[in-house]
Amino acid sequence: MSRRRLLCTKVSARRTAAVDDSKRWKIKQVTKSNFTNDLLEEVNTHILNSDFIAVSLQNSGSYSAPWQRVLPFDTAETAYLKAKHAAERFQVLQFALCPFTLRASKLTAHPFNFHLFPRDELKIGMPSYSFSCQTSYLTSMARVGFDFNACIYDGISYLSRAQESAAKHQMGNLVLGAHAVQSLPASSIADALFSERIKSRVAHWRDACKDSNSRIEDPLVQSLRKLVLRSEEYGSRPCLDIDVCSERQVELVLEVLKDFSDDLVPLLILSKHGGTQAVRPVFVSSKDDKALFEDELKIQEEEQSKRIRGFREVIDLISASQKPVVAHNSINDFTFIHSKFFGPLPPSISDFKHSLRSFFPCIVDLNRLIKEVSPLKSLNIPAALSYLRSRFFAPIDVEIPDEGLSVELNEGKIHGHNVIRISQLFAKLCLVLKSGRSVLQADDGHKALSIEDYANIFYPCSSTSLENSGEEVSISSGYTRKLSCENLVFLWGFRHETPLGELKRLLSKGCVVVAFWKPGYSEAFLEEVGHGAINCEALREMVSDGLRAASYETYKNVLRNGIWDADLADSLEKALMLTGYSSSEVDLEPQAFEICWDDSTVINLDDL
Amino acid sequence: MKNLRQIRALVISPALLARTLCTCPTFSLKNVTKSNFASTLGDLRRHISSADFVAVDLEMTGVTSAPWRESFEFDRYDVRYLKVKDSAEKFAVVQFGVCPFRWDPHKHSFVAHPHNFYIFPRQELPADGPSYEFLCQTTSIDFLARYQFDFNACIREGLSYLSRRQEDEALSRLKSAYDAMLIDSCPTTKEVKDIPLASMADILFSERMKIRFHEWRGGLLQERNEVSHFNGSLTDSEQQFETIFFKMRPALTLKGFTSHQLRLIQEVIRKHFKDLTYVRAYDENSILQKLIVFVDSEDDKIELMREVKNGLHKEAEKKIKAAVGFRQVIDIISEEKKLIVGHNCFLDLAHIYSKFFGPLPPTAEEFACHTHKFFPHVIDTKILLNADKVLQQLMKKTSTSLSSAFTLLCPEIASSKTSNSVCQPRVDVEVQVDDMRSSNWNSGAKHEAGYDAFMTGCVFAQACRHLGIDFESASPNENLAHNEKLQKYVNLVYLSWNSGDVINLSNGNVGAEFLNLNAYMKRFAKISYPNIVLIWGFPSKLKAIDIKECLCKVFGVSSVTSIYHLDETTVFVQFSKAELASDFLVLKERLESSNDPISVLHPFSKLFEGVNTHAAGYEIYKEICGSPISEVSFSEQAEAVGIKWKTRLLDSTRALEAKRHGQSGTEIERVSYGSKDTEKSEKIKRLILKTTTNQHGNACGLGDLLYGASDPPREEMMATNL
Repeated sequence: MSRRRLLCTKVSARRTAAVDDSKRWKIKQVTKSNFTNDLLEEVNTHILNSDFIAVSLQNSGSYSAPWQRVLPFDTAETAYLKAKHAAERFQVLQFALCPFTLRASKLTAHPFNFHLFPRDELKIGMPSYSFSCQTSYLTSMARVGFDFNACIYDGISYLSRAQESAAKHQMGNLVLGAHAVQSLPASSIADALFSERIKSRVAHWRDACKDSNSRIEDPLVQSLRKLVLRSEEYGSRPCLDIDVCSERQVELVLEVLKDFSDDLVPLLILSKHGGTQAVRPVFVSSKDDKALFEDELKIQEEEQSKRIRGFREVIDLISASQKPVVAHNSINDFTFIHSKFFGPLPPSISDFKHSLRSFFPCIVDLNRLIKEVSPLKSLNIPAALSYLRSRFFAPIDVEIPDEGLSVELNEGKIHGHNVIRISQLFAKLCLVLKSGRSVLQADDGHKALSIEDYANIFYPCSSTSLENSGEEVSISSGYTRKLSCENLVFLWGFRHETPLGELKRLLSKGCVVVAFWKPGYSEAFLEEVGHGAINCEALREMVSDGLRAASYETYKNVLRNGIWDADLADSLEKALMLTGYSSSEVDLEPQAFEICWDDSTVINLDDL
Repeated sequence: MKNLRQIRALVISPALLARTLCTCPTFSLKNVTKSNFASTLGDLRRHISSADFVAVDLEMTGVTSAPWRESFEFDRYDVRYLKVKDSAEKFAVVQFGVCPFRWDPHKHSFVAHPHNFYIFPRQELPADGPSYEFLCQTTSIDFLARYQFDFNACIREGLSYLSRRQEDEALSRLKSAYDAMLIDSCPTTKEVKDIPLASMADILFSERMKIRFHEWRGGLLQERNEVSHFNGSLTDSEQQFETIFFKMRPALTLKGFTSHQLRLIQEVIRKHFKDLTYVRAYDENSILQKLIVFVDSEDDKIELMREVKNGLHKEAEKKIKAAVGFRQVIDIISEEKKLIVGHNCFLDLAHIYSKFFGPLPPTAEEFACHTHKFFPHVIDTKILLNADKVLQQLMKKTSTSLSSAFTLLCPEIASSKTSNSVCQPRVDVEVQVDDMRSSNWNSGAKHEAGYDAFMTGCVFAQACRHLGIDFESASPNENLAHNEKLQKYVNLVYLSWNSGDVINLSNGNVGAEFLNLNAYMKRFAKISYPNIVLIWGFPSKLKAIDIKECLCKVFGVSSVTSIYHLDETTVFVQFSKAELASDFLVLKERLESSNDPISVLHPFSKLFEGVNTHAAGYEIYKEICGSPISEVSFSEQAEAVGIKWKTRLLDSTRALEAKRHGQSGTEIERVSYGSKDTEKSEKIKRLILKTTTNQHGNACGLGDLLYGASDPPREEMMATNL
């Protein structure tokens, strides 16, 4: 007994140590107020010096109904469609980022936690008109002390790359007008007329500007002159707005202004709906002034695009560094990252992977690595850490250099610790996997592990990793068993008194998945149900009571067509109606995916 | 004036001092969260019950789920209702202001009790259904943040609620679960499957437990025989076991075991002890306990299980009652049948209905009828301010928004100083929060639900005075809702301020004519819905002016009454005649189904550029508004709703089309029609031919000559200014 107790205290002591450990971790919290150029510089330095970058997202929710989670019988395609649906509706509230280096067993981390809010800073209805919140998510975030006020009041906004290009036009931006390189092709009389008019007007105005520069005038005369010349001021310099109504006219005006290039700098005013609205020559008093003005413009433009990009700047830095990115649940995290910071999610997973690879060449999924050491269960981060602790000796020394981090920035903040745990877990897994393999080179920590083996596999929660090509994979051991999804049948509409109704594991209210071991049985069963089950008394009874069945293809159609009802049964019913009308669409994809069978979540009819 | 007020305050203060602790005007209103809800509810019940009216106001996480769902003049009342319904179903209420007003005849003033409830739709009951979810409109959240809304208080401390429907469902679910539990009360049939003892540790643990329980049982039996005090050596040695009495039987509580260990214990009890039974039950603090109970016999065991199940059932019922939460306040207001005052409160009522009663009915009429049952008297101050001539005069055409009405009608409260305001007969309002009272209280924040409710109530009280309602002489028992001077306005609520539609909650009628007002007729041009065509999916560079030009070329200069941009690629076109609307749709369909060169040269080709231009009558807008989906752009929405066709003819023309069924219809020249339709088809044919030639004969505009631009003539070009 005493031994046991001793063991207990030991464990608890270690546990408290672990807790203390995470409390000691200092994570730089970044909000609107300290999101400065200096900070970006700092982030960039750490990214460039790191071996890996761990990321972790805190979202406003993940699914609206239990069946809309990624489930064991999902293929990569259906899992992607589910993740896509979530990423399009929910919002990222915090983005934790941790560039780290790994030298032997020493992990040096530089964690940052960015608070985000999709505030419409530019009043153009972007980045997001609205977003969903899952109540239970917010409640559990509140329980661990999440500061919603900080997030909403001071969160950093952003625009995706796709939104940025749209925004530039919507804001009626100013762009430095570059003179046409080649001279314009022969012009018509109308063109000549137009050019002449512009020329005389500009010349007149330019002369007036030069004139007024040299003498002091009565304010009244000055304002009168302005009125007559329709001259305006741009900053401290005089300018003139020339309205144009076609790109042809823009070229003509720029051509005219070429002759005045010593005194005038042309700006283009973009209209809200694309195209140019006006050309605005700005008067500069000398060559030096011109250079000065052009510098000013450049700075201004940079400032503005910074304002537009906001937090995306950080994402761009990660992407530019081309470093390997480590995430725990990569399909979820990266659908969010893609849709918020790059652009709308493509309809298929292969397009998504292709698009994502152009931004992040190497993504490591922790779930995949965990599977490598513990093939039976999929584990969350704390569970995986304790699993490793109990089975392997892989001590990792986490060091977070304290770079003058003010105390009040961190006090009581528990935000973003997950990202350090991800780094830690990754380091441990590297160590464990390294000792079990021979493909290693001893000298350098991160090169030792052949990351390529694990990169870019989007790993839904079961062993459905359908590599990049979409071919089957062979992972099967213990309780999991391979299955072709053709063998799966969805059943619903049964009465709760029927034996099926008593099954504990319902996928969604009144809907179950049944797997047939022998190929071909599922089709036979579906046919049987479809024709009223003439050959089987018991089944006919159930069909009469309203039993309905659908194939896996119908389930895929539910997701492809975005039929997100609260009950899967309703969605399946609607999908059946859809395919009923256009049956040609059904057989487009004869390719059968294999999925893995996991006893704990799917019902085995043999048990009945 | 100022002096007079001060004297007044002085006169009152001794009396006040006697009863109150504080007379300072700067206390805050009553904020209510989870922690003080129970203690507040009793007081609030009294205040509401003695109140003359109750003002309410809500703060939500958003108003429209997509830009094209925003309210505008082209909304027919049924469409408007669908928009409100969508809003109430998708967004959450985060703050609920309740402010009961009572006339105090001794002080000749109203006494107001502003309450500000933080609420949050927390899921308190475990349910297998969809998870609770709500939408946030980014601009609304940002708006709340600008007024310092405390999101932490709301999410951490906010009150949750169940609607009546949800409560009923939870209770019936519980009942069926309980019934099922009673049926299989014989515990032998279930869970007979042995848990295989997976490891040596499990076997050792089971053995150890078996010995423990054996010792304990032995001790009990011995105690019975020898009447010696059983001090339970187990109790001392292990914190995990404690001997107590459970339902008059000796029992052992199990603490600090993992669920796996508990399963093993259950197994041990089942296999080896006939007179011990494993039980899960709640103790007096509603904490779930696991116990081993000693039973005398098999009958005693069944009896015990029944008792335990009853206890679990009661506990579950208690939880459901507790989960009702904030709805208790709504129930009080509804039970007391008080006059409810809101400002432009149709959306508020819809939220109240969907959050606290049940799913919103499909039509405005049904909604009115159901709401009327729960709230028999409702006043919309916005109606009052716009409908009454005296008040209109007072408002002098200023905005009838709540804050401007408050500033104008209640300047003393709004600015805490006297002014020779327009409102001579003034109504005083005294504010009471807990033990603090003040007659010139003004320390609320705008757009805080509690303060907005207070302002609404003040505006209403002042408006009543202007209508000639004398609070002084009214008997205390008289119901304000039955006051004849208010009768004209009771239960009238703006369905849509933009289109001026008013709904009568007592009978569901909709229209502007209840309020005999000329102002409306001036403000709102009559919209004829059959004349409207909805066009979407055209190239976003087309502006209203371009579209109008397109249409006018074909149907004549005066054919288009107005064009309204719903978003970048969607417009409403109102034609001058309904006939033109249907002609347009027929023409569009013909052009699309024919591939001859004529259709390419047609002026509409600009509008139909690309292949995504869809068109349909107004009804389709209603259909799409009724969908639960909310994509940001209307074109995406139409696609998401599953619209596969490109043109939907109006009902009237569709009947005509049905006749045509079976004939090819792709070649316009050769289509044969019934005698009645010939005229129409001829006309359309003419239109197509006329307009195509028209465009080309007329191609050289002034603009081209002058500037020689290669673009086709455009309106902007003409406007070029040099």
